[in-house]
Amino acid sequence: MTATIVAQQAINGIVLGSLYVLVALGLTLIYGVLVQINFAHADFVTLGAFAAYFFIHLLGGNYLTSIAVALVVGAILGWAINLTIFAPLRHKGSELLPLIATIGVSTMMQNAMLAWFGPIPYAFETPYSQQVFRVAGMFFTAQSLIIIAVSAATIALLYAFMKFTFLGKALRAVAQDRETAGLMGINPSYLIMLTIVLSSALAGMAGAMLAPVLVLTPFAGTTVIVKAFAIVIIGGFGNVEGTILAGLLVGLIESFTTQYFDPGLIDIFVFALLLLMLAFRPTGLISERREENV
Amino acid sequence: MYRRGLLAVLALAGIATFGAGTASAQDKTIKIGGLFPMSGPGAYFGAQDKQGIELALEELNKTGVNGYKFAIQYEDSACSPLPASQAAKRLLDQYKPDVIIGEECSDATLAIMPIVAEAKVPLINAGSSSIRITDPGNPYTFRIMPNEVMQGVDIATQAYNKLNARTAVLLNETTNAGIGNAKVFKETFEKLGGKVVAEIGFGRDVNDFTAIATRVAGAGKVDVIPTYTLEGQGLKITQALSQAGVVKGGGGGAIQLGTIWLPFGFEQKAGKAAEGYVRIVQFDPTDQRDMVKNFVKNFKAKFNADPTHINAHAYDQILLIADAVKRGAKDAQSIRDTLAATKDFKGVTGSVEFDKSNQNIKMDTIHYMETKPDLSWNALKWN
Repeated sequence: MTATIVAQQAINGIVLGSLYVLVALGLTLIYGVLVQINFAHADFVTLGAFAAYFFIHLLGGNYLTSIAVALVVGAILGWAINLTIFAPLRHKGSELLPLIATIGVSTMMQNAMLAWFGPIPYAFETPYSQQVFRVAGMFFTAQSLIIIAVSAATIALLYAFMKFTFLGKALRAVAQDRETAGLMGINPSYLIMLTIVLSSALAGMAGAMLAPVLVLTPFAGTTVIVKAFAIVIIGGFGNVEGTILAGLLVGLIESFTTQYFDPGLIDIFVFALLLLMLAFRPTGLISERREENV
Repeated sequence: MYRRGLLAVLALAGIATFGAGTASAQDKTIKIGGLFPMSGPGAYFGAQDKQGIELALEELNKTGVNGYKFAIQYEDSACSPLPASQAAKRLLDQYKPDVIIGEECSDATLAIMPIVAEAKVPLINAGSSSIRITDPGNPYTFRIMPNEVMQGVDIATQAYNKLNARTAVLLNETTNAGIGNAKVFKETFEKLGGKVVAEIGFGRDVNDFTAIATRVAGAGKVDVIPTYTLEGQGLKITQALSQAGVVKGGGGGAIQLGTIWLPFGFEQKAGKAAEGYVRIVQFDPTDQRDMVKNFVKNFKAKFNADPTHINAHAYDQILLIADAVKRGAKDAQSIRDTLAATKDFKGVTGSVEFDKSNQNIKMDTIHYMETKPDLSWNALKWN
């Protein structure tokens, strides 16, 4: 019985951690390239969740396609907000202005969604949440398998993009030294836009993946974003591999704290880990020089 | 162009302010302050409260009561102590209401009570169950629904006697109301001879309840699972317990027990997982009294939806104020005094008679409903 419970909670932790990784990856990407925190990231996640919801309920689409729809909606929104808000502010020469603007965008998006979608929680059901498999005293849903598969595929694709494509290499060059990259013929503005679009697309997709788990309201994303920030810090600011490891670790801490202690202690344990990391290993779980993180 | 737009906005704002000033200057208006969550996880309360209030005001203002009309101004109290305190101060300073209704969440209500009492304005509450609201309470706070002790003692007793439950796992959000409700259930259930095998509290930021459901599944034989949480988390808990095969909806044997926190329509959102769920509802839409039938009919006509207990509670709060005005109340102090003397008010949720601590002592607002396989309700007629 004990071994079964441990295995079950490990599965629970990995599924939850995979969701956290999806949310945190976008944050880490922006930090890695722009050295900027995006406070509106949670709201991109929420919007992705609503995009998936309405694609299914208004247009009759299926859940798997809705994940792609949420990704595209996130990407388009990221592009539009960068074009109209972030880029003009960045051109004014201050790094602080776009950072403050992300707070404004966040408040604006939350209230716009509250006006459009209302405050009453939406029930986001997928046929995969209802499909429960019971094996050797354990249970898992088809939805959890989709979460793990999509997270793994996303991580692999992102990794391949960064390591093997010209754009990925250019992004890393901008992360290392924006000015020198510009002198080498790389257009930093274009690559910053690409980073924001990629990050927003990841957030949108994470929203669709989280929607069946989240209490879907206009404030849904805010309930996971604090942990996502913690994961980015524990993983090592802007470090993709560290973020993945930290996300899974936080998921496991959450499920085992629930089993053996009390869910009320989850945040204490997670943030104690964060403080320990800052004190004893500020470079994060996987130490690399920051400019090589992305 | 922009300047012209700005001037237009300022002009409109000026007209709006002037309009509001004119309205508030009318002598025979009872000014009601509404403190409800309009944002955050409890925002669904505020949205539904407003509907019930709008309907009641529309009906009352057709003729007025004793020559008085009723007006309301809302502030977002966000189901949380700090924003609720700030909202209460804003409302009292700027609107100067004769009476305030709200909040829904106990923590927020407890925070605004001393502020409202200091201003000597009566506060009518219909959604907060914490015992501390009326015990000791204060002379200005009135609660029209049963408190956590009245509800908790009753539900634990019914679980033990009617469901033959002997073991329980308590699931509650870690708020005043969540902790208080769980505590009363535990004390009553254990006094009767039952055993609480696990008490699991969680914050409002928890989304994934699979780990909690796993823990419940591993806790051995569990007969009932009293659950104290808002609708959003309530849905996720019910579904996770079903996936873990704990509750009847997932093929298990445990029965989830719920409170009035969940609105009408919860079962339809939760789906098959809700089968067998037993919960208290404080508004029975099938009640055959004329006033209930009219309320349901008029609500459907106005909002194209069935009323929830939240709509009904808000409607009753306004009707109770109107009843006090009918009995001669005309300002904050006389409304307080008249409310305190209420003996036989009949609302759509049930009756109201306040005791010395301004707690409604009537229990005819408690109805137990069991969710059938087709997700409709089976009235258990336990009270």
